[in-house]
Amino acid sequence: MKIFQKVKEKIKKLIPAGFTFKRKKKTQSAKAAGARPDKEMPGFQETVVADAKFSHPEPARPARFIQEELPYQYDQDKIVLQVRDPRWVHTYWELRSQTLESLKSRLGDDFHRARRVLRVYDVTNIIFNGSNANSFFDIQVNDFANSWYIDTGKPGCSFCVDLGLMLPDGRFITIVRSNVVQTPLEGPSWITDEEWMIPDDLFARLYGMGFGLGRSSPVGKAWQERIKQGLFASGISSSPVRRAVKERSFWMKVDCELIVYGATEPSAAVTVQGKPVNLRPDGTFTLRFWLPDGKQHIPVKAVSGDKLEERTITPIVNRETK
Amino acid sequence: MFKGYLCLVLHGHLPFVRHPEFEDFLEEDWLYEAITETYVPLISVFEGLVNDGIDFRLTMTLSPTLISMLGDPLLQERYLKHINKSIELAAKEMERTAWQPGFRDLARMYFNKFSHSRDTFLKYDRNLNFAFKKFQDLGKLEIITCGATHGFFPLMDVCRASVRAQVKVAVNHYESVFGRKPNGIWLPECGFHPGHDEILKEAGIRYFFTDSHGVLHGSPRPKYGIFAPVYCKGSGVACFGRDLESSKQVWSSIEGYPGDYNYREFYRDIGFDLEYDYIKPYIHPDGVRINTGIKYYRITGAGNNKEPYVENWAREKAAAHAGNFMFNRQKQASYLNDLMGKPPIIVSPYDAELFGHWWYEGPMWLDFLFRKIACDQDEIRLITPSEYLLENPRNQVITPSLSSWGYKGYSEMWLQGSNDWIYRHLHMASQRMSELVKIFPHADGLRKRALNQALRELLLAQSSDWGFILGTGTHTSYAIRRTKEHILRFTRLYEEIKSNSIDEGWLADIEYKDNIFSQIDYRVHQ
Repeated sequence: MKIFQKVKEKIKKLIPAGFTFKRKKKTQSAKAAGARPDKEMPGFQETVVADAKFSHPEPARPARFIQEELPYQYDQDKIVLQVRDPRWVHTYWELRSQTLESLKSRLGDDFHRARRVLRVYDVTNIIFNGSNANSFFDIQVNDFANSWYIDTGKPGCSFCVDLGLMLPDGRFITIVRSNVVQTPLEGPSWITDEEWMIPDDLFARLYGMGFGLGRSSPVGKAWQERIKQGLFASGISSSPVRRAVKERSFWMKVDCELIVYGATEPSAAVTVQGKPVNLRPDGTFTLRFWLPDGKQHIPVKAVSGDKLEERTITPIVNRETK
Repeated sequence: MFKGYLCLVLHGHLPFVRHPEFEDFLEEDWLYEAITETYVPLISVFEGLVNDGIDFRLTMTLSPTLISMLGDPLLQERYLKHINKSIELAAKEMERTAWQPGFRDLARMYFNKFSHSRDTFLKYDRNLNFAFKKFQDLGKLEIITCGATHGFFPLMDVCRASVRAQVKVAVNHYESVFGRKPNGIWLPECGFHPGHDEILKEAGIRYFFTDSHGVLHGSPRPKYGIFAPVYCKGSGVACFGRDLESSKQVWSSIEGYPGDYNYREFYRDIGFDLEYDYIKPYIHPDGVRINTGIKYYRITGAGNNKEPYVENWAREKAAAHAGNFMFNRQKQASYLNDLMGKPPIIVSPYDAELFGHWWYEGPMWLDFLFRKIACDQDEIRLITPSEYLLENPRNQVITPSLSSWGYKGYSEMWLQGSNDWIYRHLHMASQRMSELVKIFPHADGLRKRALNQALRELLLAQSSDWGFILGTGTHTSYAIRRTKEHILRFTRLYEEIKSNSIDEGWLADIEYKDNIFSQIDYRVHQ
């Protein structure tokens, strides 16, 4: 569709480096969706518009902009869990070298044979004590990873993650435990109990004003007319924008400009095609025109400051485009 | 006959970009462009409506960073310089296009627009906040606040002290500018995480907005969907859900108005089109071609062939589209009224910068819409959330769902391979800020200055704009630089405060550079 093409072009111009909505490669499953931004996805237009606020190309920054790097980590044992969407959570972590050293001395050779593992607990509706999870699964990570995207596949559930070691005999040793997060629902809630409220201060106001503020619901004639007009079809709005067929996108543009310049006494008055022109202090002048096809007569007239003398020179320019 | 309410919301925000250390800084143009193309045109629409006695209601966010920049003397001075250059270029263009009447008229249109922009800017003493305040005081505009630096709250949930600081700094700042507390807040990126409503309540905020699924997927299920607000369970703060249908009509370049072929083409700017030597004085001093704001073409069609813009055609389209929008809302309100048995509220939020900057005719469309709603019908009524709640105080109580209006509706725009590295540092800095507040609950003198500056640096690092830019991949070096810069400054302050070795000269230097929120109190971060 033509307009789809346009959006694509806009995106291309906006985002020369490629709109990489890709998730990290090291995801737990290969379910990752396609990397192309989806125009029908919620938030797509918001992204395009917001990005247009930052629509300049990047200038090359001079050397004085080189800055210090941020630390790789902060010398603590920590794992943090965050929700990305109803199914995916993200975690990052860091471990102090002392922590690893003490594990090494405690476990001996087992430490080197152990695998580093993220244990993902489903802790929905419980107070997690380390052993009462509804269920869990493990993800093996390499020793250099420090963050991970996890596909829980479970909207509306709570999770907690341990970073730990899986020993050859199957024992799991927790090194650090994350915070608990809850994924949002992916659809409407099944809970339909209703609770209603009028905030105290609003009620007080309402009370004071004698309950006279609410507008009554206008059900009746006008509404029945709407039904007759068949406005209860699936879509309520009509779209006024045309759709058309796709065009090829190759293009070229050539323009032609004319520069008229000259000099005279600084005190003289100069007109070009009858219109007065400002002289620079040294008596020179320059005019620049977008030149259309056809013949242009450009009479340039100078009148001396004392108005006793005048000169006219008329360049004639012919532009023809083939 | 009255059928329902329409609540239009414009979210105005730009990240804090102010570089006194450089003569000319490209990214400051984001503000200058928005002033000329969005803020002044909107103010002119409001002025026109008030002058003509047309009643209207509009809810508008002015983010604390935007308010700070609009009120900053250095940026005001630079804007004046910028607009003067634009006027000079438009004047040259009128001359250059003398033999092309269509283009000459457009050059004159820009000349008038730029001159008008300068006049308006000067009329309000260079501070457009005064203009917005004026329409708020007249009861036409309800200005709401936002996160102090537009931090994305769902990804700050592990350090709620920072969410609290974002909200409280914003509320205090709002009060210092507008002389009253804000009733509502636009959560940055419309990002809601259950529980943050408690923080809003603490700050005295009565309502916020979520995207449609924030309310629709809340629990228990909302009886009226997004067509009535809900109160958050526990806090009682009201939450208004966004209407998708009216959103699409304006946002979408597939089905929406801004894609109409008669409207102005955003991507054909003379900064890129004209011969290099001629345009050089008006682009970036480094010689990089940039937008000048003078764009001569209409969208024309899907291909790259563009025809000249015709002002009258575009104006007629804007009027027709305003009529179409109103008609559809009337139908929608009438339909919903029947379904619900009470008047619905249709909440239509848009980026303010969509109007004028991205969609050139947007302010004109809004003007037509307000006039038509006031004069041509009696089925829908414009309303602000505050007024709505006064008239309709009884609402359902639910817990709205985690949501945002970003790509895919949750946190992925700000949490993906290109930007997830920032949270390790942001969260650490939050944790350290809380630690400092705990150690120094009553600091004064130099230490207090350093603590206040530390909070400024932390807030500036948290702007969702940096994560967003890293996510789209368009302007990454600046976003990386800003993220690192504020974290590095914060970290050095943290270390110097803890070791009682504050370098006053350096502190003064960063206070001068990152001068936002002069009244900040570091103790809000807890």
